[in-house]
Amino acid sequence: MSIIQAKDVKKWFGDFQALKGISMEIAEGEVLVICGPSGSGKSTFIRCINRLEQHQDGEIIVDGTELTNDLKNIETIRAEVGMVFQSFNLFPHLTVMQNITLAPIWVRKKSRSDSEEKAMELLNRVGIPEQADKYPGQLSGGQQQRVAIARALAMDPKIMLFDEPTSALDPEMIKEVLDAMKELAKSGMTMIVVTHEMGFAKEVADRVMLFDEGMMVEENTPDEFFDNPKNDRTKLFLSQIL
Amino acid sequence: MKNAIKYFLFFRNVVFLKWAFQVIFLFGILSIIWNYIQNAIVNLADTNIAFSWGWLGETPGVSVAEGMYTLPNSGLQMIQTGMVNMFRITVTGIFAATVLGTFLGIARLSSNYIVEKSSTGLLEVVRNVPLLVQIYFFQAFVLSFPRLEVFDTGEYFFHASAKGIAFPWFNRGPNSYLLMVYALLVLYIANKIYKWRVEILEREGRDTKPFLWSVGTLITLLVIGWYGGFRAAGVVGFLAGYISMGLEAVPAIVYQMLISGTAIYIGFKATKKFIDSKKSEEAQGIYSDDDYFKIILNVVVVLLVVLIMFSSIGAGFAGFLVGDEITFKADWGLPQLFHGIENKLHWYPSIDVEVVAEIEGMKKAEIINWEIKPGDKIIQGDVIATAYATGTKIDKQEVELIALETGTVESLLVEEKGIAIKLGTPYYELEVTDGDPFIFSKPKIEQVGTTKFQRYAKGHGKSLSVGYFAIWLGVVLYTAIFISEVVRAGIMAVSKGQSEAGMSLGLRRGALLRLVVLPQAIRVMLPPMGNQYLNLAKNTSLGIAVAYPEIVAVGQTLYNQEGQTLPVFLIWMMFYSSVSLTISSIINYYNRKMKIVER
Amino acid sequence: MVAVIKKNAKALQESLFSSVGSSVLTIGTTYLVLNFFRGMFGFVMSSDKDWLAVLNNMQLYMVQAYPESDFIRVWVSVGLTFVFSGISIGLWRSEDRSNVSSIFDTFFKIGLGVLFFTIVAPTFTSYMGNDGSVITEEIFSRSTRLGILIPTLIATVAFFGLKNMKINFSYNNSDVVFLYLFIPVALLWFVKLPVIQLDQNKERIMPDPLMPIANTTKIPWSVIFVMFLIAYFIGIYFKDVKRLKNVMSISWFLLPLLIFSWIFKKPQIDMGEVLTGDIPIFFIFFIIGLVTVLFINNPIVKKYYSIYLGIILVGTIAGIFIGIPMLAKACLLLLSLFSMVVPAVSTSDQGKRSLIIIWFVALVTLTFLLRGGASETGIVVPGSSIFGGFSLTWLLAIFGTYVSFPLGVLLALGRNSKLPIVRIICTGIIELVRSVPYITWLFFASVTLAVFLPAGVEFNLIVRVLMVTAFFSGAYFAENIRGGLQSIPKGQYEAADAIGMSPFQKTGLIVLPQALRAVIPTLVSSAITAFKDSSLVTIIGLFDFLTIGKTVIDNQSVPVNFVGHQRENLIFVAVVYWIFTFTLSRRSMKVEKRLGLGER
Repeated sequence: MSIIQAKDVKKWFGDFQALKGISMEIAEGEVLVICGPSGSGKSTFIRCINRLEQHQDGEIIVDGTELTNDLKNIETIRAEVGMVFQSFNLFPHLTVMQNITLAPIWVRKKSRSDSEEKAMELLNRVGIPEQADKYPGQLSGGQQQRVAIARALAMDPKIMLFDEPTSALDPEMIKEVLDAMKELAKSGMTMIVVTHEMGFAKEVADRVMLFDEGMMVEENTPDEFFDNPKNDRTKLFLSQIL
Repeated sequence: MKNAIKYFLFFRNVVFLKWAFQVIFLFGILSIIWNYIQNAIVNLADTNIAFSWGWLGETPGVSVAEGMYTLPNSGLQMIQTGMVNMFRITVTGIFAATVLGTFLGIARLSSNYIVEKSSTGLLEVVRNVPLLVQIYFFQAFVLSFPRLEVFDTGEYFFHASAKGIAFPWFNRGPNSYLLMVYALLVLYIANKIYKWRVEILEREGRDTKPFLWSVGTLITLLVIGWYGGFRAAGVVGFLAGYISMGLEAVPAIVYQMLISGTAIYIGFKATKKFIDSKKSEEAQGIYSDDDYFKIILNVVVVLLVVLIMFSSIGAGFAGFLVGDEITFKADWGLPQLFHGIENKLHWYPSIDVEVVAEIEGMKKAEIINWEIKPGDKIIQGDVIATAYATGTKIDKQEVELIALETGTVESLLVEEKGIAIKLGTPYYELEVTDGDPFIFSKPKIEQVGTTKFQRYAKGHGKSLSVGYFAIWLGVVLYTAIFISEVVRAGIMAVSKGQSEAGMSLGLRRGALLRLVVLPQAIRVMLPPMGNQYLNLAKNTSLGIAVAYPEIVAVGQTLYNQEGQTLPVFLIWMMFYSSVSLTISSIINYYNRKMKIVER
Repeated sequence: MVAVIKKNAKALQESLFSSVGSSVLTIGTTYLVLNFFRGMFGFVMSSDKDWLAVLNNMQLYMVQAYPESDFIRVWVSVGLTFVFSGISIGLWRSEDRSNVSSIFDTFFKIGLGVLFFTIVAPTFTSYMGNDGSVITEEIFSRSTRLGILIPTLIATVAFFGLKNMKINFSYNNSDVVFLYLFIPVALLWFVKLPVIQLDQNKERIMPDPLMPIANTTKIPWSVIFVMFLIAYFIGIYFKDVKRLKNVMSISWFLLPLLIFSWIFKKPQIDMGEVLTGDIPIFFIFFIIGLVTVLFINNPIVKKYYSIYLGIILVGTIAGIFIGIPMLAKACLLLLSLFSMVVPAVSTSDQGKRSLIIIWFVALVTLTFLLRGGASETGIVVPGSSIFGGFSLTWLLAIFGTYVSFPLGVLLALGRNSKLPIVRIICTGIIELVRSVPYITWLFFASVTLAVFLPAGVEFNLIVRVLMVTAFFSGAYFAENIRGGLQSIPKGQYEAADAIGMSPFQKTGLIVLPQALRAVIPTLVSSAITAFKDSSLVTIIGLFDFLTIGKTVIDNQSVPVNFVGHQRENLIFVAVVYWIFTFTLSRRSMKVEKRLGLGER
């Protein structure tokens, strides 16, 4: 049973068509890596899954709930889908602990003590329990991104979306974030990752997709994708990036 | 089925909720406003002071202390006096505050310890004391001077007393408008010549000396102008006369239709352009909520304009332009406006000569015999008429009314004899043929008739009243301090690398500031500078505290007289809103221009 | 020593006489500044100024015509403010320490300044008499000059020596506040001031006799000082209790409300109404709140939370329209707000306890304010308004900020909203209000506003001014806050959306805290502007601080009138305004620096 179904999703920004009919299905527990040149619509697509952008045509069904203008559906889906951004987007006026417990307390209406317990557990999982009382501004980029992952996990999501989680990081910090993501993938989380980290794709992904000009040009297993691509566009892309 | 559920659940639909909230919000606001208007209608009915604009056309029973019309013939003219008084301060104030503020701003960046500290000290003092306190202090300062009566009458070069401050000045004569328009025309021509010569230079590649040419033309034409050539500007008045005649034939309904038509045209154009932009192949005519809203808003605004133009408000506005009984009296209708320009800028400008006091205590003049008739040429000092002066100690004392300007009599405004004419009322029309455009004179103290009071004589030098001095100095100093902060921040915003680059090219400090730093700093400074100009314009309203008759003070006098507080408040609002809009659009214009130059 | 002087001289030369232009500027500016100082000195000292016009009218300046029999209210209010300050200074006592030699350095510099100005002060001054003649008089004789010069010189040299002795003694920066206050309070007991006295012929005795300061002034101040000191130690003692700091912050917010209601009103409370009306209502609501706090997080009850909240909200809206006591309406409103935050906070025993305390305090405050506010005032003042002088200026400034700030936040949010109708309306209100000067809005309040109110509803002019000020300053606050809102990156909104926050949560927990923090400096300068602008009420005839100096002292001061001494009074008014605005802006600069370091 697929947890995300997208059928012919289209999206325009004014005159510019960002998505030109994307269809795909993702099974529960699957790790999907999407790559592609900038402006290819890959970020737009995963933002549509979370309703940060509104698709204008086609349909997206997440865990049996269709994404429409219905308030209840949007709330349901957002509670089930966690998201990690390229620029972390931590709340600078709150401590790490407050960042993580904010949503459980205010959205899930959980008790503060339970949420804090859970948050410590998550911080342990991403490997920075000692930073709980610091402000985001006092952390390094890699640490911030790991806090962002913990923040998304605090809502107990079924699906995690990663929007280029490592592109804003210095090279030496990329590894610590990728490690946290690998650990997450192994635990059986459904993940959609937009990234240029091909090593990560090879090692963890169940499937790899290439987006170009708002269309999905190739969908393949990682081994096939890297060693034996079907499409010329993929070959060109791989030659540029590797 | 699925769709049916979708529609049934409309109350959970985000788009529906969004618009429902907005509509409720709009109706909430409208109902609050409606509620207050209802209250106002009920309350006004109770107090027997119905809301009306009629008082604008009636002669107010009060005078204005200084300005264009000290004895206004209508409420509108009185308000005009207030507006002009406000602009007198705003325009000169903006100029002075900018100059002073720039100096202070540069001084605050000076490496000289004493210069830097003393300008900072001035800043801290002026910035941290309320403007009103400062204005009161300046007023009290001038009021503490000796009374004018302790000085001898006669001419002075510079004079200060509790009545104000006086200094020598070039006073305008009736011909001055001609000369000013002539100067503007000459500047325009010189500019055109400069461009023409530059064009030849660029085309043919030889030195055409554009600067020399334009300055030469400028000086030649100005010299010709000064010795009488300025009358050439009369062509403007000549044209204005025809425009005035043409406009007189236009009925009010034409204006109503014209404005509605323009609104429909602009609205239609804008909407069409917007829809076209969405129709492109890729956009496929897909609209967001905002797009629909924009289209609906366009339609609503156009409909509103048309509706208003054909309601009583629109009719009133059109009447205003045509020159109905209210605006006619104050020369505010379009035809009268152009007629006024014709009078001021004709080959020989025409003026309405007012009755002035020939002897002390004279209040009115009752003409016995006219010594002139239309078409007569008179020179300064001629006798215009003999009249009985009323209001003096001896009843009906016989006096001679004397001509103050040289020219040709156009018409007599008081044909019947035996009618008492108040001082300040025009009684004949004169075409001025002679006299300098500007007359240099020194201040003079004169006695007010035979009383023990004295005053600065009108038309001799320039005297600033206490109120004018206090409010002017107050707003200029206060604004200059804030402008100095803007200038300082602007200069500091230019990176140090720019100065270093300039210095490495061998520029000196002055040239560096003028050529490299200031042009860049001005771009940063413009928007906050515009804010300061706006503040200055608004702060002139404190003139009311020192009895300077600007628009707020004049408005207050008027509503104390007529009881019409609401219309006066609306006038204030319209006036200040349009001043704010004007200043901010000028600043925006330059801002945009600067930005284009940059790229 | 010589090296130090040489180094300073070199720096001086480089700064002041580096080039010909610089030297000319230096000399010119020095000439101007010196002449300004000499002129001011002459102005202050010349015999046509009567500074007793200021000194003898302090009571008018502070409270205008407030009855002396009720002065105890004013004293208690001032005392309360000082006690609060004491506790706060103690709680937030800084750990910064300074060496004592920095004090000596300050005194040394002051000494140098006094020496310099004593030397350059003019001996003679001249002013213009009423008849236009110039009167010259001696104001600073050689003996006085020497009398100041010699002791100052000795003291300055002494401080210079002390400064360079490198005494190793440091003190806490917060403790010095008491020195600042102790000196004036101690002086109250020793200094004698000139007082205007009349002889049998009702003529003023010249020169004015020197009298010690009245007990009615110095005893209250001394008591206040002692309490201030005690409060300070209490603050230090409880320094580590973090919760107390929050309590203190809220108390500072409530203090002005309490003080003004206390000074405004000597409430004539009908005890029967209190017993039959207020106390039952109070208990009913207290119990509802108590039950809510205790049981809302019970799993069975929690299911029906939305129904409970719905009932309360509907009840509140209905309650506003039906005829129930004012107190019940206000309590309903408070309860609906309270119920919204309860489930998130009452998860632990500690949370429950603090919620109950907050609920209790809020209800008590509300009951007190409403009962006190609705009752007749027992204070009778000759003239139109109870408030006058400095207390009115403070009232306008503080309440103007209180009411305009929330309005400004709402307007800014509206103007920044994605909803087009809301945005257009809020933009319209802001721009319309801002484009017209404050004084015209004040005239609107004084003459036009009454037209728009329902027949029979009348407000005091002060209240009307506050209503208009709310909109006027609100629009300016809104523009500042909008700047802060725009500085928040789009990612913050997206992150909040992604974790499923509702629009209200997003605004309250993510957007506003960041936006407000970003604009604290501009908000403070707006508040300072509002404080300065409050002087404009002079023009519409309210008796604020400026009016007292400008017009009241001319004809209301006792025992003699001071016609023609406006300049002295205006200078005094200016100095007082200056002290307040200057310190405020300096403090805000420091706060800004501290915030900038701490959080980001």
